[in-house]
Amino acid sequence: MAADLVLDTAIRDWVLIPLSVVMVLIGVLRYFVSKLMRSNQVPDAKIVKEGQLVIRARNLRASANFIPPKSFRARRFYFSNEENGLLFVPKGQAQNPQAQMFSDPNMAMDMMKKNLSMIIPQTLTFAWVNFFFSGFVAAKIPFPLTQRFRSMLQNGIDLSTVDVSYVSSRSWYFLNLFGLRGLFSLILGEENAMDDTQRMMQMSGFGFDPSKSLGAEKDSLDIIQHDWALPKFEHRAEAVLKKLVR
Amino acid sequence: MAGHNESTASGKKSTEATNDVSTLNAESLQSNMKIIYYSRTFMSIIGGVIAGILGFTGLSGFILYFLIMAITSVGLIAKAGFQVHSYFDSWNQVILDGFLGGLLSFVLFWTFAYDIVHIF
Repeated sequence: MAADLVLDTAIRDWVLIPLSVVMVLIGVLRYFVSKLMRSNQVPDAKIVKEGQLVIRARNLRASANFIPPKSFRARRFYFSNEENGLLFVPKGQAQNPQAQMFSDPNMAMDMMKKNLSMIIPQTLTFAWVNFFFSGFVAAKIPFPLTQRFRSMLQNGIDLSTVDVSYVSSRSWYFLNLFGLRGLFSLILGEENAMDDTQRMMQMSGFGFDPSKSLGAEKDSLDIIQHDWALPKFEHRAEAVLKKLVR
Repeated sequence: MAGHNESTASGKKSTEATNDVSTLNAESLQSNMKIIYYSRTFMSIIGGVIAGILGFTGLSGFILYFLIMAITSVGLIAKAGFQVHSYFDSWNQVILDGFLGGLLSFVLFWTFAYDIVHIF
Protein backbone atom coordinates (compact mmCIF):
# COMPACT_ATOMS: atom_id res chain seq x y z
CA MET A 1 0.00 0.00 0.00
CA ALA A 2 1.47 3.28 -1.04
CA ALA A 3 1.45 6.26 1.24
CA ASP A 4 -1.81 8.14 1.35
CA LEU A 5 -2.06 10.95 -1.09
CA VAL A 6 -3.15 14.31 0.15
CA LEU A 7 -5.75 15.65 -2.20
CA ASP A 8 -6.49 19.33 -2.45
CA THR A 9 -9.94 20.39 -1.27
CA ALA A 10 -10.22 22.44 -4.41
CA ILE A 11 -10.28 19.19 -6.38
CA ARG A 12 -13.36 18.18 -4.48
CA ASP A 13 -15.06 21.51 -4.98
CA TRP A 14 -14.13 22.02 -8.61
CA VAL A 15 -13.77 18.50 -10.01
CA LEU A 16 -15.57 15.79 -8.09
CA ILE A 17 -18.79 17.56 -7.23
CA PRO A 18 -19.23 19.47 -10.51
CA LEU A 19 -18.53 16.33 -12.52
CA SER A 20 -21.12 14.30 -10.65
CA VAL A 21 -23.73 17.05 -10.75
CA VAL A 22 -23.16 17.58 -14.45
CA MET A 23 -23.54 13.87 -15.11
CA VAL A 24 -26.90 13.82 -13.35
CA LEU A 25 -28.11 16.95 -15.09
CA ILE A 26 -26.99 15.69 -18.48
CA GLY A 27 -28.89 12.48 -17.89
CA VAL A 28 -32.03 14.44 -17.08
CA LEU A 29 -31.51 16.71 -20.07
CA ARG A 30 -31.00 13.75 -22.35
CA TYR A 31 -34.24 12.25 -21.12
CA PHE A 32 -36.24 15.35 -21.89
CA VAL A 33 -34.57 15.97 -25.23
CA SER A 34 -35.25 12.45 -26.39
CA LYS A 35 -38.81 12.87 -25.17
CA LEU A 36 -39.18 16.02 -27.25
CA MET A 37 -37.64 14.47 -30.31
CA ARG A 38 -39.71 11.35 -30.18
CA SER A 39 -42.21 11.67 -32.96
CA ASN A 40 -45.50 10.12 -32.07
CA GLN A 41 -45.94 8.11 -35.18
CA VAL A 42 -49.33 6.77 -36.10
CA PRO A 43 -49.19 3.07 -35.42
CA ASP A 44 -49.85 0.80 -38.32
CA ALA A 45 -53.28 -0.76 -37.98
CA LYS A 46 -52.05 -4.18 -39.01
CA ILE A 47 -49.27 -4.24 -36.44
CA VAL A 48 -51.60 -3.12 -33.67
CA LYS A 49 -54.08 -5.76 -34.69
CA GLU A 50 -51.44 -8.47 -34.56
CA GLY A 51 -50.20 -7.28 -31.20
CA GLN A 52 -53.70 -7.39 -29.74
CA LEU A 53 -54.15 -10.83 -31.24
CA VAL A 54 -51.03 -12.09 -29.53
CA ILE A 55 -52.25 -10.66 -26.23
CA ARG A 56 -55.60 -12.38 -26.65
CA ALA A 57 -53.93 -15.69 -27.41
CA ARG A 58 -51.68 -15.25 -24.40
CA ASN A 59 -54.66 -14.59 -22.18
CA LEU A 60 -56.27 -17.74 -23.44
CA ARG A 61 -53.09 -19.66 -22.74
CA ALA A 62 -52.74 -18.24 -19.23
CA SER A 63 -56.28 -18.98 -18.17
CA ALA A 64 -56.84 -22.11 -20.22
CA ASN A 65 -57.48 -24.22 -17.17
CA PHE A 66 -60.44 -22.19 -16.03
CA ILE A 67 -62.67 -23.04 -18.96
CA PRO A 68 -64.12 -26.43 -19.91
CA PRO A 69 -62.20 -28.59 -22.38
CA LYS A 70 -64.72 -28.08 -25.14
CA SER A 71 -64.60 -24.30 -24.87
CA PHE A 72 -60.86 -24.39 -24.84
CA ARG A 73 -60.70 -26.53 -27.93
CA ALA A 74 -63.10 -24.24 -29.76
CA ARG A 75 -61.04 -21.21 -28.88
CA ARG A 76 -57.83 -22.87 -29.84
CA PHE A 77 -59.28 -23.88 -33.16
CA TYR A 78 -60.36 -20.30 -33.70
CA PHE A 79 -56.82 -19.11 -33.13
CA SER A 80 -54.71 -21.76 -34.75
CA ASN A 81 -56.45 -23.76 -37.41
CA GLU A 82 -54.56 -24.19 -40.64
CA GLU A 83 -57.10 -22.57 -42.94
CA ASN A 84 -58.22 -19.28 -41.53
CA GLY A 85 -57.02 -19.32 -37.94
CA LEU A 86 -56.05 -15.90 -36.72
CA LEU A 87 -52.58 -16.91 -35.67
CA PHE A 88 -51.84 -18.87 -38.80
CA VAL A 89 -49.53 -17.01 -41.14
CA PRO A 90 -49.19 -18.42 -44.64
CA LYS A 91 -45.63 -19.16 -45.65
CA GLY A 92 -45.14 -16.62 -48.40
CA GLN A 93 -46.99 -13.78 -46.76
CA ALA A 94 -44.64 -13.24 -43.90
CA GLN A 95 -42.99 -10.01 -44.87
CA ASN A 96 -39.43 -9.24 -44.17
CA PRO A 97 -39.21 -6.63 -41.42
CA GLN A 98 -35.95 -5.36 -42.80
CA ALA A 99 -37.48 -4.67 -46.17
CA GLN A 100 -40.41 -3.04 -44.45
CA MET A 101 -38.04 -0.85 -42.56
CA PHE A 102 -36.29 0.42 -45.61
CA SER A 103 -39.56 1.14 -47.29
CA ASP A 104 -40.60 3.29 -44.35
CA PRO A 105 -38.20 6.20 -43.93
CA ASN A 106 -39.91 7.36 -40.75
CA MET A 107 -38.75 4.31 -38.90
CA ALA A 108 -35.10 4.75 -39.82
CA MET A 109 -35.35 8.44 -39.02
CA ASP A 110 -36.79 7.70 -35.62
CA MET A 111 -34.05 5.25 -34.82
CA MET A 112 -31.40 7.68 -35.91
CA LYS A 113 -32.87 10.36 -33.67
CA LYS A 114 -32.84 8.01 -30.73
CA ASN A 115 -29.27 6.99 -31.31
CA LEU A 116 -28.19 10.57 -31.78
CA SER A 117 -29.85 11.66 -28.59
CA MET A 118 -27.78 9.05 -26.82
CA ILE A 119 -24.46 9.42 -28.58
CA ILE A 120 -24.14 13.19 -28.89
CA PRO A 121 -24.44 14.05 -25.18
CA GLN A 122 -22.06 11.24 -24.32
CA THR A 123 -19.41 12.36 -26.74
CA LEU A 124 -19.80 15.95 -25.67
CA THR A 125 -19.54 15.13 -21.98
CA PHE A 126 -16.56 12.93 -22.57
CA ALA A 127 -14.82 15.65 -24.54
CA TRP A 128 -15.69 18.16 -21.85
CA VAL A 129 -14.32 15.94 -19.12
CA ASN A 130 -11.19 15.30 -21.09
CA PHE A 131 -10.66 18.94 -21.78
CA PHE A 132 -11.20 20.33 -18.30
CA PHE A 133 -10.50 17.53 -15.92
CA SER A 134 -7.85 15.34 -17.45
CA GLY A 135 -5.18 14.10 -15.14
CA PHE A 136 -6.78 14.71 -11.78
CA VAL A 137 -6.86 12.16 -9.06
CA ALA A 138 -10.44 12.90 -8.22
CA ALA A 139 -11.61 10.21 -5.84
CA LYS A 140 -10.64 7.22 -3.77
CA ILE A 141 -12.63 4.05 -3.69
CA PRO A 142 -13.12 2.98 -0.09
CA PHE A 143 -12.09 -0.62 -0.65
CA PRO A 144 -8.90 -2.20 -1.94
CA LEU A 145 -8.68 -3.56 -5.45
CA THR A 146 -6.15 -5.60 -7.36
CA GLN A 147 -3.74 -4.27 -9.96
CA ARG A 148 -5.91 -5.42 -12.80
CA PHE A 149 -8.33 -2.61 -12.15
CA ARG A 150 -5.66 0.01 -12.69
CA SER A 151 -6.43 0.59 -16.34
CA MET A 152 -10.11 0.84 -15.50
CA LEU A 153 -9.85 3.21 -12.57
CA GLN A 154 -6.81 5.27 -13.42
CA ASN A 155 -7.53 6.03 -16.99
CA GLY A 156 -5.61 9.19 -17.81
CA ILE A 157 -2.87 9.14 -15.21
CA ASP A 158 0.13 7.02 -16.01
CA LEU A 159 1.63 6.47 -12.61
CA SER A 160 2.24 2.93 -11.53
CA THR A 161 3.11 3.84 -7.95
CA VAL A 162 -0.25 5.29 -7.03
CA ASP A 163 -2.50 2.94 -5.09
CA VAL A 164 -5.13 1.37 -7.31
CA SER A 165 -8.03 2.60 -5.23
CA TYR A 166 -7.44 6.16 -6.36
CA VAL A 167 -9.68 7.09 -9.24
CA SER A 168 -8.83 9.51 -11.98
CA SER A 169 -11.40 12.03 -13.10
CA ARG A 170 -11.94 10.35 -16.44
CA SER A 171 -12.63 7.04 -14.76
CA TRP A 172 -14.93 8.78 -12.32
CA TYR A 173 -16.87 9.89 -15.36
CA PHE A 174 -17.23 6.29 -16.46
CA LEU A 175 -18.23 5.15 -13.01
CA ASN A 176 -20.92 7.80 -13.00
CA LEU A 177 -22.06 6.82 -16.45
CA PHE A 178 -22.81 3.30 -15.33
CA GLY A 179 -23.66 3.78 -11.70
CA LEU A 180 -26.20 6.54 -12.10
CA ARG A 181 -28.59 4.33 -14.03
CA GLY A 182 -30.33 3.33 -10.83
CA LEU A 183 -30.73 6.93 -9.77
CA PHE A 184 -32.18 7.84 -13.16
CA SER A 185 -34.69 5.08 -12.97
CA LEU A 186 -35.79 6.53 -9.64
CA ILE A 187 -36.00 10.17 -10.60
CA LEU A 188 -37.16 9.82 -14.19
CA GLY A 189 -39.47 6.88 -13.81
CA GLU A 190 -39.35 3.61 -15.61
CA GLU A 191 -39.56 5.18 -19.03
CA ASN A 192 -35.88 5.94 -19.04
CA ALA A 193 -34.78 2.39 -18.38
CA MET A 194 -37.35 1.03 -20.75
CA ASP A 195 -36.10 3.30 -23.47
CA ASP A 196 -32.64 1.90 -23.14
CA THR A 197 -33.75 -1.68 -23.44
CA GLN A 198 -35.94 -0.81 -26.39
CA ARG A 199 -32.99 0.80 -28.05
CA MET A 200 -30.96 -2.32 -27.45
CA MET A 201 -33.66 -4.43 -28.97
CA GLN A 202 -33.83 -2.26 -32.03
CA MET A 203 -30.10 -2.28 -32.46
CA SER A 204 -29.73 -6.00 -32.18
CA GLY A 205 -32.78 -7.32 -33.94
CA PHE A 206 -33.92 -4.41 -36.09
CA GLY A 207 -37.29 -4.43 -34.47
CA PHE A 208 -39.32 -7.51 -33.81
CA ASP A 209 -41.06 -9.53 -36.41
CA PRO A 210 -44.81 -9.65 -35.81
CA SER A 211 -45.39 -12.71 -37.95
CA LYS A 212 -42.70 -14.56 -36.02
CA SER A 213 -44.35 -13.76 -32.71
CA LEU A 214 -47.65 -14.92 -34.15
CA GLY A 215 -46.06 -18.22 -35.13
CA ALA A 216 -44.44 -18.65 -31.73
CA GLU A 217 -47.73 -17.92 -30.00
CA LYS A 218 -49.47 -20.44 -32.22
CA ASP A 219 -46.91 -23.10 -31.38
CA SER A 220 -47.18 -22.59 -27.67
CA LEU A 221 -50.95 -22.62 -27.93
CA ASP A 222 -50.77 -25.87 -29.83
CA ILE A 223 -48.67 -27.72 -27.32
CA ILE A 224 -50.55 -26.60 -24.22
CA GLN A 225 -51.95 -29.38 -22.08
CA HIS A 226 -55.46 -28.55 -21.11
CA ASP A 227 -56.41 -29.52 -17.59
CA TRP A 228 -59.70 -28.20 -16.38
CA ALA A 229 -59.32 -26.78 -12.90
CA LEU A 230 -62.95 -26.67 -11.83
CA PRO A 231 -63.30 -30.26 -10.54
CA LYS A 232 -60.28 -29.68 -8.36
CA PHE A 233 -61.73 -26.43 -7.16
CA GLU A 234 -64.70 -28.25 -5.76
CA HIS A 235 -62.36 -30.30 -3.61
CA ARG A 236 -60.60 -27.18 -2.56
CA ALA A 237 -63.83 -25.42 -1.70
CA GLU A 238 -64.89 -28.48 0.28
CA ALA A 239 -61.67 -28.36 2.26
CA VAL A 240 -62.03 -24.65 2.93
CA LEU A 241 -65.65 -25.00 4.01
CA LYS A 242 -64.80 -27.92 6.28
CA LYS A 243 -62.15 -25.84 7.89
CA LEU A 244 -64.65 -23.06 8.42
CA VAL A 245 -67.28 -25.32 9.90
CA ARG A 246 -64.89 -26.92 12.29
CA MET B 1 -38.19 1.32 6.41
CA ALA B 2 -38.85 0.88 2.75
CA GLY B 3 -42.52 1.00 3.49
CA HIS B 4 -43.58 4.08 1.60
CA ASN B 5 -42.16 2.80 -1.64
CA GLU B 6 -44.42 -0.10 -2.27
CA SER B 7 -47.78 1.35 -1.36
CA THR B 8 -49.15 0.24 -4.70
CA ALA B 9 -48.45 -3.44 -4.13
CA SER B 10 -51.98 -4.45 -4.71
CA GLY B 11 -54.49 -6.25 -6.79
CA LYS B 12 -53.60 -9.86 -6.34
CA LYS B 13 -55.84 -12.78 -5.94
CA SER B 14 -54.45 -14.93 -3.23
CA THR B 15 -53.43 -18.42 -4.07
CA GLU B 16 -52.88 -21.32 -1.79
CA ALA B 17 -49.73 -23.37 -1.94
CA THR B 18 -51.83 -26.51 -2.03
CA ASN B 19 -52.96 -25.76 -5.52
CA ASP B 20 -50.65 -25.54 -8.49
CA VAL B 21 -53.00 -23.48 -10.62
CA SER B 22 -51.41 -20.06 -10.77
CA THR B 23 -53.92 -17.32 -10.11
CA LEU B 24 -51.48 -14.45 -10.14
CA ASN B 25 -52.14 -11.69 -12.59
CA ALA B 26 -49.05 -11.28 -14.76
CA GLU B 27 -49.29 -7.51 -14.99
CA SER B 28 -49.72 -7.02 -11.27
CA LEU B 29 -46.83 -9.37 -10.70
CA GLN B 30 -44.71 -7.27 -12.99
CA SER B 31 -45.71 -4.12 -11.17
CA ASN B 32 -44.78 -5.74 -7.87
CA MET B 33 -41.40 -6.68 -9.26
CA LYS B 34 -40.91 -3.12 -10.39
CA ILE B 35 -41.71 -1.90 -6.90
CA ILE B 36 -39.10 -4.27 -5.51
CA TYR B 37 -36.58 -2.92 -7.97
CA TYR B 38 -37.34 0.68 -7.01
CA SER B 39 -37.16 -0.02 -3.30
CA ARG B 40 -33.85 -1.79 -3.72
CA THR B 41 -32.34 0.97 -5.82
CA PHE B 42 -33.56 3.59 -3.36
CA MET B 43 -32.23 1.68 -0.40
CA SER B 44 -28.87 1.01 -2.02
CA ILE B 45 -28.40 4.70 -2.78
CA ILE B 46 -29.36 5.69 0.75
CA GLY B 47 -27.17 2.92 2.13
CA GLY B 48 -24.25 4.06 0.02
CA VAL B 49 -24.52 7.59 1.36
CA ILE B 50 -24.78 6.27 4.92
CA ALA B 51 -21.74 4.04 4.47
CA GLY B 52 -19.76 6.90 3.00
CA ILE B 53 -20.64 9.37 5.72
CA LEU B 54 -19.89 6.91 8.47
CA GLY B 55 -16.56 6.25 6.80
CA PHE B 56 -16.76 2.53 6.25
CA THR B 57 -13.96 1.07 4.19
CA GLY B 58 -13.28 -2.32 2.72
CA LEU B 59 -15.33 -5.25 3.82
CA SER B 60 -17.43 -3.44 6.41
CA GLY B 61 -19.05 -1.38 3.68
CA PHE B 62 -20.14 -4.47 1.81
CA ILE B 63 -21.41 -5.98 5.01
CA LEU B 64 -23.49 -2.85 5.44
CA TYR B 65 -24.83 -3.36 1.93
CA PHE B 66 -25.88 -6.90 2.72
CA LEU B 67 -27.44 -5.70 5.94
CA ILE B 68 -29.40 -3.02 4.13
CA MET B 69 -30.58 -5.45 1.49
CA ALA B 70 -31.69 -7.82 4.24
CA ILE B 71 -33.59 -5.01 5.93
CA THR B 72 -35.21 -4.14 2.61
CA SER B 73 -36.25 -7.74 2.11
CA VAL B 74 -37.75 -7.88 5.57
CA GLY B 75 -39.51 -4.58 4.93
CA LEU B 76 -40.93 -5.84 1.64
CA ILE B 77 -42.09 -9.06 3.20
CA ALA B 78 -43.67 -7.17 6.07
CA LYS B 79 -45.40 -4.94 3.54
CA ALA B 80 -46.76 -8.04 1.86
CA GLY B 81 -48.22 -9.02 5.21
CA PHE B 82 -45.83 -11.98 5.50
CA GLN B 83 -47.85 -13.73 2.80
CA VAL B 84 -45.34 -13.67 0.01
CA HIS B 85 -47.23 -16.16 -2.11
CA SER B 86 -50.18 -13.87 -2.55
CA TYR B 87 -47.97 -11.30 -4.23
CA PHE B 88 -45.03 -13.17 -5.73
CA ASP B 89 -44.25 -16.50 -7.26
CA SER B 90 -41.57 -17.45 -4.81
CA TRP B 91 -39.46 -16.25 -1.94
CA ASN B 92 -36.44 -15.89 -4.16
CA GLN B 93 -38.07 -13.07 -6.04
CA VAL B 94 -38.45 -10.98 -2.92
CA ILE B 95 -35.09 -11.74 -1.43
CA LEU B 96 -32.74 -11.96 -4.38
CA ASP B 97 -34.23 -9.86 -7.14
CA GLY B 98 -32.27 -6.71 -7.90
CA PHE B 99 -29.61 -7.67 -5.41
CA LEU B 100 -26.65 -7.13 -7.69
CA GLY B 101 -28.28 -4.33 -9.63
CA GLY B 102 -28.15 -2.08 -6.62
CA LEU B 103 -24.52 -2.82 -5.92
CA LEU B 104 -23.22 -0.47 -8.58
CA SER B 105 -25.32 2.42 -7.30
CA PHE B 106 -24.26 1.56 -3.79
CA VAL B 107 -20.56 1.63 -4.65
CA LEU B 108 -20.90 4.88 -6.54
CA PHE B 109 -22.67 6.73 -3.76
CA TRP B 110 -20.49 5.14 -1.14
CA THR B 111 -17.40 6.41 -2.93
CA PHE B 112 -18.92 9.81 -3.50
CA ALA B 113 -19.94 10.41 0.09
CA TYR B 114 -16.76 8.87 1.47
CA ASP B 115 -14.58 11.08 -0.70
CA ILE B 116 -16.45 14.23 0.12
CA VAL B 117 -16.44 13.64 3.85
CA HIS B 118 -13.19 11.81 4.55
CA ILE B 119 -10.62 12.00 1.80
CA PHE B 120 -10.12 15.67 1.25
